[in-house]
Parts: sequence; structure tokens; C-alpha cells
Amino acid sequence: MSKESRMRATINQKLTEMGERERLKELLRAKLTECGWKDQMKAHCKEVIKEKGFEHVTVEDLVVEITPKGRALVPDSVKKELLHRIRAFLAQHAT
Amino acid sequence: MKMEDMPLSGPDNTKLEALVHDIYSELVEDACLGLCFEVHRAVKQGYFFLDETDQESMKEFEIVDQPGVDIFGQVYNQWKNKECECPNCKRLIAASRFAPHLEKCLGMGRNSSRIANRRLASNNNMSKSESDQEDNDDLNDNDWSYGAEKKARKRKSDKNQNSPRRSKSIKHKNGELGSSVSSEPYKYNYNTGISYETLGPDEVRSLLTTQCGVISEHTKKMCTRSQRCPQHTDEQRRAVRVFLLGPSAPSLPDADTVVESDSFDIPDGQTLMSRLQWEDSPDISPADSASSKASTNHSDSRRPKKKKRPSLGLNSGGGGSLTGGGGSSSSSSQSNISLSTKKKRPKLSAPSISSIYDDLN
Repeated sequence: MSKESRMRATINQKLTEMGERERLKELLRAKLTECGWKDQMKAHCKEVIKEKGFEHVTVEDLVVEITPKGRALVPDSVKKELLHRIRAFLAQHAT
Repeated sequence: MKMEDMPLSGPDNTKLEALVHDIYSELVEDACLGLCFEVHRAVKQGYFFLDETDQESMKEFEIVDQPGVDIFGQVYNQWKNKECECPNCKRLIAASRFAPHLEKCLGMGRNSSRIANRRLASNNNMSKSESDQEDNDDLNDNDWSYGAEKKARKRKSDKNQNSPRRSKSIKHKNGELGSSVSSEPYKYNYNTGISYETLGPDEVRSLLTTQCGVISEHTKKMCTRSQRCPQHTDEQRRAVRVFLLGPSAPSLPDADTVVESDSFDIPDGQTLMSRLQWEDSPDISPADSASSKASTNHSDSRRPKKKKRPSLGLNSGGGGSLTGGGGSSSSSSQSNISLSTKKKRPKLSAPSISSIYDDLN
């Protein structure tokens, strides 16, 4: 197991060091905005805020409400593309 | 590539797949978190709900999604079928054509004045050119209304000085305006080049004096660019001239050898003959005096400047003479060409000379 965790650590490190993580993040953000995911989530946020009263809403509230829905709402094409890219990166750089 | 792209068998691969998914989840959560921070800040700073107003206005400006109507709820081609009555001519005009019609109908606006001017010009030319042609039967033989065309071109270039479309019309009439300097009355189709089969020998000759003339293999048309066009070599140009005008055709004009008078080094019977003919020419009509003057200048400058082509000597000797409307047509035509080729720099005189001779011949 430690071997595995070491491998994970290495890969994560590599991801960050080579800037691939940032690139992937940007890619994901762009794709989500493009496909309308962001607007959907914002609308949901509005509801949550109206529910909780917007004076007292905290980040935690939002996170708790938003994240599960956000994960579910990511369109398949975006997911597939990201997975593909991550796999490609691993294939190149995994020992 | 050490690993496979797709999640497949093998314990290592499943672990890797798990890793891939983990990384993916991390990224998605990161995105969500980013969004939450953004929204939270907007709420706290007070600009999150700015795009919302009261319910009534919201309903008013809602996006419309019905067929036949755009998203604002407006009908798209509402005015298409409506007709308006023109106050000038009392006709019923379609709405979309109404403005241009009004422009022409009232005679105001840029376009209508230009059209009117053009019509005036062409009308004048028509009436004038007809009278010219009645006088000179010879002129009729050659290409259409040379005189009218010359005047028309002149008029057009005057009239269109200030119009905004000037550059466009010049481009279109490149065959006319552009070559008004070398005003040669041949059928000029600028876009597609010239087909040498349709031209008479005189036209071909006059063409070849000012243009490259190399016949393209694909289209069988002559190149209409200048004598120095970079697409074709001088060899090609010479070959074309030989092909079209016969082996005794004048060779190419070279820009460097504007006045190539090697002729006087090569005494030739023809040279002497043509010179004799030339000496007669000053007697003839004043129309030729210009040409004979030019020829005088030409033959006077005897200095063998650059002996690039000795063969040129023959023709320059022929060119040194100009027959005043008579004489052997071959030598005169040759002299026409060589003269106009020599006089490449003072471009105005040579082509007009050759064209005068074309008409006379």
C-alpha cells in the first residue's frame, strides 16, 4: 500500500510541477462555463441563498449544498475528456 | 507509451484507474469550490442579485421562444410585404426597395448623380463618334469606335475624379482606363486574358508591343501583364512573338535597351530601303508628323548603348523609319512594333503612334 501511496504522491507531485494540474483546471473551468454548468449552479446557489437568507449565508453552507449537485451535473462529454487527458498524462509519466 | 489508454484488465491498471478518477474528482471539487467562493463573495459584496428587478419587469423582458417571432417578441419580416406609394412617381414600391428607389426617383444621393453623369457622357460620345465614323471609312475597318472609345475614356476619367467609387470603377475598367495610356483598340477582357486566336495580326502586333503576351499552357490565353512581368521570361516572350508573328518578328523590348540602335552597324538592304521610305514621310499628313518626329529622335540617337541583341539591329533599323501610311506593310508593322517597343519609357507617344498606323493600314 505504501508503494501505491508513494506512487500517488509522485504522480500528484508531477502533475503540479509540470503545470499539468493548472492546465487541467483551466480546461475544466472553461468547459463547464461553455456547457452552461456554471449558470445552472449559480441558479441553484440563488435558491439556496434565498432559502437561508442572504445575510447569514456562509461559504460552508454553500459548499455543502453545491458540491454534490455540481459533481452530478457535470456533462458526460466533459468528464470523458478530462479522464482521457489524465490517463494520457499518467501513461506518459508513470514509472 | 508504457500504459494503455483505456481502463482495462490487470491490478495495476485498476489502481491507475482509481487514481485517474481520484484526480478527476479533485479537479471537479476544486471547480465547485471556486464557484462557491465566487458566489459567496458576490453575495456579501452585494452584487449577486443585481440582475434581478421586480417581478413585473422580469416578466416583461423574458426571452420569447415562440415560432415566427424573435426572442424579443418582434415579428421578423413584418415590413417585407408592405408597399409604399412613392410621392414622386406615385408607384407602389416594396418597402425594402423603397429607399433606393426614392434616391433614383428624386435624383438625389450619390449613386443617382453618378449614373446620370455617366449617361450624359455616353450619350455625348455616341452622337460624336457617329459623326466621326461617317467621315472616315478607314476607321471603320478596325476595331469599334476607336475615336469614341478614346473620348469616352477621357471623359470618364474626368467625371469620376471625385466619386467615392473611383477606385472601383478604375479596377473594373482596367482594360480601358488603365490602358488609356496605351490606348489600343483591341478586345480586352481583363479578367481572363486574351485569346490570340480571335485577334487579327495587327491587333496581335500591337498587343505584343505593350504586354507580355506569353501564352499560358492551361488556358491558351496571352498574358496581359507588362513586358516585364515576373511570371514569364524574356525567352518565352520572344518565343511567343516568333510563334505569332513569324520568324522575322521583332524581338522583345528590353527596358534597358530603350534605344537600341545597333542597326547602323549592320548595313542592310531593308534598313536602307526603310530609311528611304522614312525620308518621304514628312510630306504626308500632319497626323504623321508626330510619328515622324518620334522616329527622327529615335534614329538620331545612334549610340550603340547596350549590344544585348544583335538581332535587334535589323528591327531597330526598320524602326528608324516610319512609313507614312504607305510602304510595305510588313516593314511598317515591324517598325511600328519596334518603335513602340523602343519608346517604352515615353510610353505615351509610341502606342498612339502604332495605333494611328493601325488605323491607317
